[in-house]
Amino acid sequence: MSASIRPMEPRHLREVLEIERSSFASPWTEGAFLSECDTGPDREWVVIESPWGVLGYAGVAIMVDEAHVMNVAVREDARHAGLGLALMSHIIEAAALRGGVRMTLEVRPSNEAATALYERLGMTAAGLRPGYYSDVGEDALVMWSEDLCSEEMLELRRSLAEEAARSLGAFEGVVPSRPTGLAGMPGDDLVLAIETSCDETAAAVLRGGREVLSSVVASQVDFHARFGGVVPEIASRKHTEAIVGVVDEALERAGVDLADLDAIGVTHGPGLIGALVVGLSYAKGLAFATGLPLVGVNHMEGHIFANLLADPELEPPMVALLVSGGHTSLVHVPAWGEYEVLGSTLDDAAGEAFDKVAKVLGLGYPGGPAISRLAAEGDAEAIRFPRAMMDSGDYDFSLSGLKTAVINHVRHEREAGRQIDLADLAASFQAAVVDVQVAKSVRAAKEHGVSTFCIGGGVAANPVLREALREALAAEGVRLSVPPFELCTDNAAMIGAAAHFRFWRGERLEPSAEGVSDLKLG
Amino acid sequence: MRVVLCFDTATERVAVGVGVLDGGGLEVLASRDVDAPRAALSVLLPTVREALAQAGLTVGDCRMIAVGRGPGSFTGVRIGVATAKGIARGLGVSLRGVGTLDAVARRAAGHVGLVGVVGDAMRGEVYPALLRCGPEGVARLSPDRVADPREVATEWASLQESVLLTGNGLAKHGGVFGEVMGSNAVFASEDLWAPTGVALLEALASEGSCEGVGPGEILPVYTRLSDAEERERASGGACAPPSGVAGPGGRP
Repeated sequence: MSASIRPMEPRHLREVLEIERSSFASPWTEGAFLSECDTGPDREWVVIESPWGVLGYAGVAIMVDEAHVMNVAVREDARHAGLGLALMSHIIEAAALRGGVRMTLEVRPSNEAATALYERLGMTAAGLRPGYYSDVGEDALVMWSEDLCSEEMLELRRSLAEEAARSLGAFEGVVPSRPTGLAGMPGDDLVLAIETSCDETAAAVLRGGREVLSSVVASQVDFHARFGGVVPEIASRKHTEAIVGVVDEALERAGVDLADLDAIGVTHGPGLIGALVVGLSYAKGLAFATGLPLVGVNHMEGHIFANLLADPELEPPMVALLVSGGHTSLVHVPAWGEYEVLGSTLDDAAGEAFDKVAKVLGLGYPGGPAISRLAAEGDAEAIRFPRAMMDSGDYDFSLSGLKTAVINHVRHEREAGRQIDLADLAASFQAAVVDVQVAKSVRAAKEHGVSTFCIGGGVAANPVLREALREALAAEGVRLSVPPFELCTDNAAMIGAAAHFRFWRGERLEPSAEGVSDLKLG
Repeated sequence: MRVVLCFDTATERVAVGVGVLDGGGLEVLASRDVDAPRAALSVLLPTVREALAQAGLTVGDCRMIAVGRGPGSFTGVRIGVATAKGIARGLGVSLRGVGTLDAVARRAAGHVGLVGVVGDAMRGEVYPALLRCGPEGVARLSPDRVADPREVATEWASLQESVLLTGNGLAKHGGVFGEVMGSNAVFASEDLWAPTGVALLEALASEGSCEGVGPGEILPVYTRLSDAEERERASGGACAPPSGVAGPGGRP
């Protein structure tokens, strides 16, 4: 037999951990495996041994008559050969032998291959466990097999066991194929990404578009803070001063040289034109000197790909809300690389509104975090600010009216000699912004029939917006992908993820490429 | 053979030169100069490629990169400087800065006497530079700065010596210089007002030294702060370098 199932022993652990870490976003620790495979009669842990090493493993715990599948994984290069089914067939037999009648497990709904396998084993979806996967807050799909010993199930078990034996016997070795990177593209390319579209000088190195080897962000916020907003000329100057050092640091932290790279990715729009051209010029110079392919990335597409970095299983169709100091847009994503902008702000971006209101209230810059902190102490219903375009029937936003309403309120209260409760004001303003974003987001998700929703941009780091979105979308059965804070704000890792995708699609920037301040998505 | 690639994008002219520098000696291998108003980013690299091809070389043959630091269009200078940093870093070679106004002055190098370069600084102002040309070379007499054209003209008139005027600022402000300096204002032909690849190489060679610095160290010469900082300074706030000149030698 080419591959066989054996009890798991401590000597297998090194390889098991390697498979575990490359298979799951929140992998089990070595300690967890050690305590599990030191089994009692209520446990069964097995591995698939082969001349190519450990190819997979699975474990089950039996409590009275209920069998809980604890973990199952097959090594990436041994998948699609029936080994997962062989492991599960073994687990079912082991569970039945120990008195298990019912069997259950949790699976990510986005993991279609696994869900399909469990359905073949006669398991059916019984419900959702909300927020079970803490890494991205994804719900778990709970699946059950109600009676392992029914006539029907006994028949299925016999055919599964036969199939398992065939798969193990016929296994002819691992396929020396390229690993898979993000969005279905091949996955071992090294990409250097550069981002200078606004006030962060950023560089990152990614392998396969998904493994972030380094991500460096030199924020200029301190240089702009005293002006209450980003000063484009200062941003351009600081990028010019920082660009060489930031890129070098990204390469150094990743432990790679320019000679190791497969491509250079760079943001070529949208953004502040004077800022964009600094990163683009530097990237073009690097590419020209090294002969490396240069890939242009749309900054907004980068924000969408940031979600994929946080959750590699993410699959379109989905809708994305991109909300920052420069943008407020709802985007329908039917497939990777395809975008339909459903609506955008007609005046101020949401982050801009936060900054301007913070300025009026004397809270400093940037306004988002300041207002968000203050709002946590306030009553969101204290002041009823307008929800502009809430019922406009389209997906456009308007925020300048709200900003004016806040300014008028402040002036009115001051003239009347009344003390302004800043916390209430901040909370009420924030609620007005969030309400409209959430209402339009939910409607867009419903209208396009998506089950996944993404967010990106600095304002996506606002905890009230995240929570309100998550709750409202969950009520419609839509899962919210929530990238960590550092992937929401501007960074080059997200540009690298999108550059990887564009690189494998064969897209290149010409030496004559210009920066495009209003570059469109799609 | 020490091949140097140099270019300048501080004005509406993209100027590219390829040459060999040895000690004080210069051999020009190729020069391409293209008028490209607001198009430096798209025109620069194709022009560099053409110049290298004209010299029968590839970018990998270059041992040093030199770039015009301005003063000139802020965005224009940054396109040149950032591209030069990228090429120098990509090749692992050193980088040098050249004064854009010095390169313009080089074009009048046959002249003996004072040369006044008047760079267009927009907003009714100019970047003035005064140099003296003679058989022993070109000596720079004034630092980079931004100034009112009439003030500069008055200053140069007080020298009571004929000044050969050149530079793209004359298109707008030539009249003022003629009016204030009278017969001491001698205008260079308009086709000499912008830098060229050859002039950049000559300005570089005249500095004698063949050494460059790391790609992180060369920065543009602005002479002005950003508007936000200028307003802040005018209202009594304190902040940035008074000269607005950044880079080696000019850094506060």
